[in-house]
Amino acid sequence: MINEAFQGSGRHLYASAGPDQTSAVTKTRGGPLLLGLAGLAGLLLLIELLPRLGLVDEQYLPPASRIGAALADEVTGTEFWQAIGDTLTGWAIGLAVAVLAGVTAGILIGSVPVLRAVTASTVEFLRPIPSVALIPLAVLLYGTDLGSTLLLVVYASFWQVLVQVLYGVADVDPVAAETAHSFRFTAWGRIRYVLWPTALPYVFTGIRLAASVALVLAITAELVIGTPGLGKLIAVAQSSNAVPTMYALIAVTGLLGVAINLLARLAERRSLRWHQSVRGEIPA
Amino acid sequence: MKRLAYVLGLPALLFAGWFLLSDGSENFYAPPLRQILRAFADTWTVERLRTDVIPSLLRLAAGYTLAAAGGIAAGVAIGLNRRLRAAVEPVLEFFRAIPPPVLVPVIMLFAGIGNGMKIIVIVFGCVWPILLNTVEGVRAVDGIQIDTARAYGIDGPARIRRLILPAASPQIAAGLRQALSIAIILMVISEMFASSNGLGFTIVQFQRSFAIPEMWSGIILLGLLGFALSVLFRLAEGRALRWYDGLRAAQRRS
Amino acid sequence: MLEVQGLRKVYRSGGRETEALRDLTFKVDSGDLVCLVGPSGCGKTTLLRCLGGLLEPTAGTVRIDGHEVAGPPPGLAMVFQEYGRSLFPWMSVRDNVELPLKQKRLPRARRSTLVASALEAVGLAGTETAYPWQLSGGMQQRVAIARAVAYEPATLLMDEPFAAVDAQTRADLEDLVRSLWQRLRVTVLFVTHDIDEAVYLGQRVVMLSSSPTVVQDELTVDLPAERDQLHTRADSRFTALRTHVYEQIQAAKRGRPTPEGAV
Repeated sequence: MINEAFQGSGRHLYASAGPDQTSAVTKTRGGPLLLGLAGLAGLLLLIELLPRLGLVDEQYLPPASRIGAALADEVTGTEFWQAIGDTLTGWAIGLAVAVLAGVTAGILIGSVPVLRAVTASTVEFLRPIPSVALIPLAVLLYGTDLGSTLLLVVYASFWQVLVQVLYGVADVDPVAAETAHSFRFTAWGRIRYVLWPTALPYVFTGIRLAASVALVLAITAELVIGTPGLGKLIAVAQSSNAVPTMYALIAVTGLLGVAINLLARLAERRSLRWHQSVRGEIPA
Repeated sequence: MKRLAYVLGLPALLFAGWFLLSDGSENFYAPPLRQILRAFADTWTVERLRTDVIPSLLRLAAGYTLAAAGGIAAGVAIGLNRRLRAAVEPVLEFFRAIPPPVLVPVIMLFAGIGNGMKIIVIVFGCVWPILLNTVEGVRAVDGIQIDTARAYGIDGPARIRRLILPAASPQIAAGLRQALSIAIILMVISEMFASSNGLGFTIVQFQRSFAIPEMWSGIILLGLLGFALSVLFRLAEGRALRWYDGLRAAQRRS
Repeated sequence: MLEVQGLRKVYRSGGRETEALRDLTFKVDSGDLVCLVGPSGCGKTTLLRCLGGLLEPTAGTVRIDGHEVAGPPPGLAMVFQEYGRSLFPWMSVRDNVELPLKQKRLPRARRSTLVASALEAVGLAGTETAYPWQLSGGMQQRVAIARAVAYEPATLLMDEPFAAVDAQTRADLEDLVRSLWQRLRVTVLFVTHDIDEAVYLGQRVVMLSSSPTVVQDELTVDLPAERDQLHTRADSRFTALRTHVYEQIQAAKRGRPTPEGAV
């Protein structure tokens, strides 16, 4: 999933209303949180009522309460937690490899202009190749082993990291670069004191994006190929027509995705707070 | 000329390398490139393109367009209403976090295994980034532009057409880009799961029957497709957002 | 004719109340050019937004030609300080100037004429197809002014329009505003923090106190109608007037109103 990081549309001191407000500037602190919770509650209510009122066939969409019961059932069993462990293992290893490779390749390619020009077309060609195209290959090579999952996860996540790191390296302040040059920094010095601090926020964005993508691919691999994990449980539930269980597991994947996203954002903010103070030391 | 060398240089090198290194290959899973290329020419005839590739692309187009239309419309409506946005955003973020391929078994329950199912899968999978990015883009429209529009009496549909949509279009474009990748993935997966024609189906058939060079040729075709669609998207985006590129370049210079 | 009576604006934010405007009362006769000056933070922008119908006052009234303002009134145009952001970057200069006219549902021929003459009046004839971000800051502000002028408003509100522009360009733009005002006979309310600019431009200068804002003082600028940057600013009368305004503003900053002195 390609997600160009959208650095926000600029802070402005003009205290005016956005398109969704009238003239009064009202700021209720807890308001949005309550509304959000209300929205979620509304969703649960909807899922409970639609099948019960007969508006949707119970076979296709069981009421929320039944899904909840199935979830409770799953959570008390060991198979569920084993599956989560498997999914997260594949996710973590794949992500780590992708990040390492992506950052290294990104810094290397980004800091040598010739390399950048030469590899640009190749990157642009390989990047949009859907990782699911590799599924048949993975099946042949690794069958239902962890390797299949890793092949897909690493391939998809690598590009997320690489692209962001390349942006980061390209964003280096030319004045800072020139200053380092005039102080005759070595290549390593330039990377450490100019390149790395500039690229760091982008690296974190890349990690955040790659983390989401990695989860999606891990679960996809498990679902389609049958490697151990949540995806496999979902496939099993589907083929044995255990519909509430299937929905429950799907909800779990959603929650997992949300959790990973939040964690990634948290880590990003925490590390960049440190980073901002370091940035002050860079000659600009 | 130099630019051409840069663009074609490495790919040509890699291609030649692959060709030469794999030439005498005995490995079952990694046949010589020569063989793959021959299989490519043999397999992907005009006939097969018609029966397998075109239907896939049509389903992709249908699903993507529906998701775009619905996502942008809903996104504008939600983005303009602060309360609604606050209420609905967590729900939307939750749905976005669900790995799209997981929807295939669910939607198969409702919609069987026909064309409808595949299109619905694509719509449900890729609408979220479009929707959420539209909401974000609408929300972030510059307050001064809002005031200017109000001061000159520009409101209602005219305001949406002339201010809100153009202002949000860079963000919407980002959402559309993400959605395209998701749509391609879902197109393939929905066919791998349950289908009787299509690109994904064909590749899986090759894999199951151990027709390895043909399988590789299918993977390459899929890669070319992904690349071609990405290039097309980039061209369309560049055309539509020329003003935005110009604006950012001007801002960077100052 | 613009009448402000007892205008009051209180901002409520998360339990805290800020009284931006306490009690403003003043009048601008039709066809006059009045400048509003005040120390920073005295709510000039809030005032202008209330006048333009973009902000609802907590108390008091704003009347334009006898009608109370409750939302942006027709026949009123605004020019903001942040010219770069008030022009729509996806539209060319011509489209930007033409947009409010389309909203007024004017026929195409009329729109073309208005756009062409407005751009000519601000000295930007020939830039129709350019995009705002291709132009310099001063030129962008001229486009914003052209947009306001093409609208053929009866009242023109300008919110520190030249604050973000360099001094040279500012001088040109000031003269432009005066000449447009004289030609088109619009009622102009010009907000600025630049005392010299206020005295140079206005027929009258209204001085605002610091927050919570009231009218500190008013004075009539009895300089000749023909003004130019070089001679008018060197005039002794000009100096006397600006000194008075300066003293008032200083007093306002200290929070002490001085009695209206005879100048």
